[in-house]
Amino acid sequence: MKFLQSPTAKRWGSLIALYAVVTVMTGPPGNQSSPTLGFTSSFSETVSFFGLFPAPRGLFLAGVFGLIIGAVAIYQRTALQGMVKQARQTVAPRYQSVTQRKSLRGVFYALVLFVAIILPHVVTDPFWQSAMVSQIAIYVLLAIGLNVVVGFAGLLDLGFVAFYAIGAYTTAWITGALPAAAPFHHHLNAFWAIPIAIVLVMISGVVLGLPTLRLRGDYLAIVTLGFGEIVTIFLNNLYNITGGSTGSNQIPHFSIHLGPVKYVWGLDPVPYYYLTLGFVVLFLIVFSALEHSRVGRSWVAIREDEIAAESVGINPLKYKVIAFAIGAASAGFAGVITGGQSLFINPTTFTLAFSINILVLVIFGGMGSIIGVVVGSLIIQTISMYLIHTPPAGFQNSDLYIYLGALLIAMMIFRPAGIWPSKRRRREIVAVEAGTAPDQYNGQGSKNGEGA
Amino acid sequence: MGGFFSYFSSHFATLDHEFWPLLVGGLATGFIYSMVAIGYTMVYGVLRLINFAHSEVFMAGGFASFFLTKWLVGSGTPSAWQSVLYVVLGVLAGGLAGAAIAAAVERVAYRPLRRRNAPKLAYLISAIGASYFLFNLAAKEFGRINFAMSPPFANHALFTFANAPVQMLDVLTLVVGLLMLFGLDRLVSKSKLGRSIRAVAQDAETASLMGVNIDRTIAVTFLLGGFLGGAAGYLFGLKFGVVYTMGFTPALKAFTAAVLGGIGNLRGALIGGLLLGVVESMSVAFVNGAFTDVVSFAVLVLVLLVRPTGILGESLGRAA
Amino acid sequence: MTAQLFDVQNVTLRFGGVVSLNNVSLHQNPGEILAVIGPNGAGKTSLFNSLTGVYAPQEGTITFNGAKGPLSVIGKKPHRVNAAGVARTFQASRMFSAMTAFENVKIGAESHKGLGVIGAMVRGPSTRRHDRETDERAWSLLRFVGLEQQANTLSASLNYGARRRLEIARGLATNPSVLLLDEPAAGTNPAEKLELTTLIRRVRDEMGVSILLIEHDMKLVMSLAERLYVLNFGSVIAEGTPDEIRANPAVVEAYLGSTDTGTTQGAQ
Repeated sequence: MKFLQSPTAKRWGSLIALYAVVTVMTGPPGNQSSPTLGFTSSFSETVSFFGLFPAPRGLFLAGVFGLIIGAVAIYQRTALQGMVKQARQTVAPRYQSVTQRKSLRGVFYALVLFVAIILPHVVTDPFWQSAMVSQIAIYVLLAIGLNVVVGFAGLLDLGFVAFYAIGAYTTAWITGALPAAAPFHHHLNAFWAIPIAIVLVMISGVVLGLPTLRLRGDYLAIVTLGFGEIVTIFLNNLYNITGGSTGSNQIPHFSIHLGPVKYVWGLDPVPYYYLTLGFVVLFLIVFSALEHSRVGRSWVAIREDEIAAESVGINPLKYKVIAFAIGAASAGFAGVITGGQSLFINPTTFTLAFSINILVLVIFGGMGSIIGVVVGSLIIQTISMYLIHTPPAGFQNSDLYIYLGALLIAMMIFRPAGIWPSKRRRREIVAVEAGTAPDQYNGQGSKNGEGA
Repeated sequence: MGGFFSYFSSHFATLDHEFWPLLVGGLATGFIYSMVAIGYTMVYGVLRLINFAHSEVFMAGGFASFFLTKWLVGSGTPSAWQSVLYVVLGVLAGGLAGAAIAAAVERVAYRPLRRRNAPKLAYLISAIGASYFLFNLAAKEFGRINFAMSPPFANHALFTFANAPVQMLDVLTLVVGLLMLFGLDRLVSKSKLGRSIRAVAQDAETASLMGVNIDRTIAVTFLLGGFLGGAAGYLFGLKFGVVYTMGFTPALKAFTAAVLGGIGNLRGALIGGLLLGVVESMSVAFVNGAFTDVVSFAVLVLVLLVRPTGILGESLGRAA
Repeated sequence: MTAQLFDVQNVTLRFGGVVSLNNVSLHQNPGEILAVIGPNGAGKTSLFNSLTGVYAPQEGTITFNGAKGPLSVIGKKPHRVNAAGVARTFQASRMFSAMTAFENVKIGAESHKGLGVIGAMVRGPSTRRHDRETDERAWSLLRFVGLEQQANTLSASLNYGARRRLEIARGLATNPSVLLLDEPAAGTNPAEKLELTTLIRRVRDEMGVSILLIEHDMKLVMSLAERLYVLNFGSVIAEGTPDEIRANPAVVEAYLGSTDTGTTQGAQ
């Protein structure tokens, strides 16, 4: 019995548990008639390694696990770890001096932009071209927006999808694609949806935010989650306004008729890609400026110590509402583009799972780090699309969500600041963990002063 | 203006007529909410954390008891004594599965963060991740349809209270709910274990200096909350069947109930659950089915804005 | 007759059953260095919190007459009170720990003026001019408190005395009429105490900012303050110049000891 308490037993136990979970997670699904099938066949199903060595899946994965553990053990117990550490130490200063130089940064960004621009001409597979817009570029846009709320202001908004939905449905509405009549019974060009949606979204953001942004962080999360759910309920049930669960009618594509400039977006995703890319670049510039402005610094101050921030004249509620509204506006933007690009929209896209997906992108990339969020979104979305396009055996599209959930936990345990963190965020997290900074998250409001 | 009044008067008429059935139904649902709310409230008490994954604890209890009931009952009709046994086993199965999942979540998603003294935001995100993970894993493994659970007894109306038929299932929910809540209350206020839980809820650092094993106490808190939540899943499943999404809405409402009664306050969870169940039930007279969720949400927002400490006030530190 | 800087009339502050401030009346004249002393738990920090809008007393009035006009403090949020001209430091220095010293002061300098969000996003010429101005102000304040060498150090890495001075600089950056100092000498060594005394005097003499301080170190208080109030159990038990206070029997009794050599509570 004592043995079960020992550290070795615990470690082995965790490894075995991890192995079991991963095996089931990546294995074949269950089904209605035999719900336990998924569990059993994850271990018993026969798989083969490139046609050779057929073996039960459980055994195969055990072998893979064993190899990984062995490799890690060898790495840790031999000179290998020391050598890698040494190499990192010699490379790190040189790497830093290169990345700090502003001119090199500019070149780097120009290069990335160049690649982004020529990408649709290099990748011509129709699946990927469509995915580039609706699954990658749009998600990057959304992630950058949520990063302002979660990363800059430190507010957990789980109802982000609601603003996205409002943007999309506004587009449908003003172009006359909803049962609800377009304003003044005049079908507008889809581009007009942008300012209208922004206004609607910001109003709803402020209306939601003013009463709720005073709440503690975890309560805010639940309330925003509820708000997202309410919007979904309304979308699904107000048939006469939103088209209910069947959704909208056909939405006309974007078009510009400004004097000599005439362009109609059509079914081809590539023009939409460039439209979205344009907005992404715009947002990147604007939000980067925001981060290094007085507003950005106020957010940092509120995040680090709200009471001290108040004492130097910063109004926390005002800046939180600003962040919320900006995040909502970017979601609204993305919604308008989605509305214009998709022929039809319906409520199934706009669920809590969507909000969580965007959250994963922000957390994985690095909350508060614009570059991290972009890189993180690109990585996750590209991998997801790849898995959907060429699924490995037994993979269902919805399995992705399982991996994302596990990823969130893993990130919090191992690298809470993200894969490309903002330096300041990483410093803040380290400070809280070391106990040298107060944990502002559960918002010690101004009524909790210090004792007499 | 007249239309406005007639709308309300017709709805009040429905309420008046259906009052007792709605009340009974509301109380039964309310007990389920209370049992789940306990899980939220206890974990919040000791960790100051909303355990998002509690909805999956509820769901796990539902599925575990579903499998057990399916295996036991099959397609036969059990005798009276067998029924009682099956129900007890169902409650146990649900409770144990719930407790197991809750403990696993604590071990995997929260304890490593405690070791590192992570900021609270990290716990919340980890909780969301755990919930999402379990939710989608259940979808994968169990499929997406609703499995009806054949109750191991004939669910006829036991008696009639005013004009409300009170069904066997409602009585069962009331009885199990009362027993468990009462038992837990005794445990927390009288036993040594309960004292350590209350101590950790009040001041974890001091408690550990006094010799309380924090890890174990927190684990037990999750186990207890998980047991009640899982058992509630069984009761819920008997009425509505089990499906991978079953945890989401009831858990959100249970959280509302916990806040309504006073987060961290055990008796508050009971009161909040019953109150919310009844309010929600009565609102059926006024709004269409799907919109009752909106009503619950509105209650949550109102409570948080007007009296965030809830009806009975926050505390796990005191016995009440 | 110039208006009083702070005019506190019959303020009572209660927390549940505990009376933290009991019918407290006091005033501060412009340009004064005023001190509030008293045993631990006497209500001094509660008083500060009431003067800055953190707590809202149930009874009484607090009027602040800063350079920007009169303000009734009770019921106003702390940032609003700061905008009117009241700056403060905290008992346990509250730094923006992941920011550098410079950034800490700059935040104070820019919190009141400046264009809004659009300006922040667009970064036009007026935004950039404002940025330059606040940069200069931050530098000058860092020089004033003697921290210009550590401007780019993370505030979490600063030593105790430096953090105190940084808080003062940050408070001054908000352009106040009065600076409330909550136990500025707590935990400092005698050399640092001397520096602090000089600095506080310079704040009043060179910057024209009045001082209201809470302190336990009697030597420091008696040498610095021009007038004192003594609180005990939430009530004002004495008021006067240092000499008057020293001779006051009620004060001596409250402290249970000679106030001359200083029961330096809280020092070291």
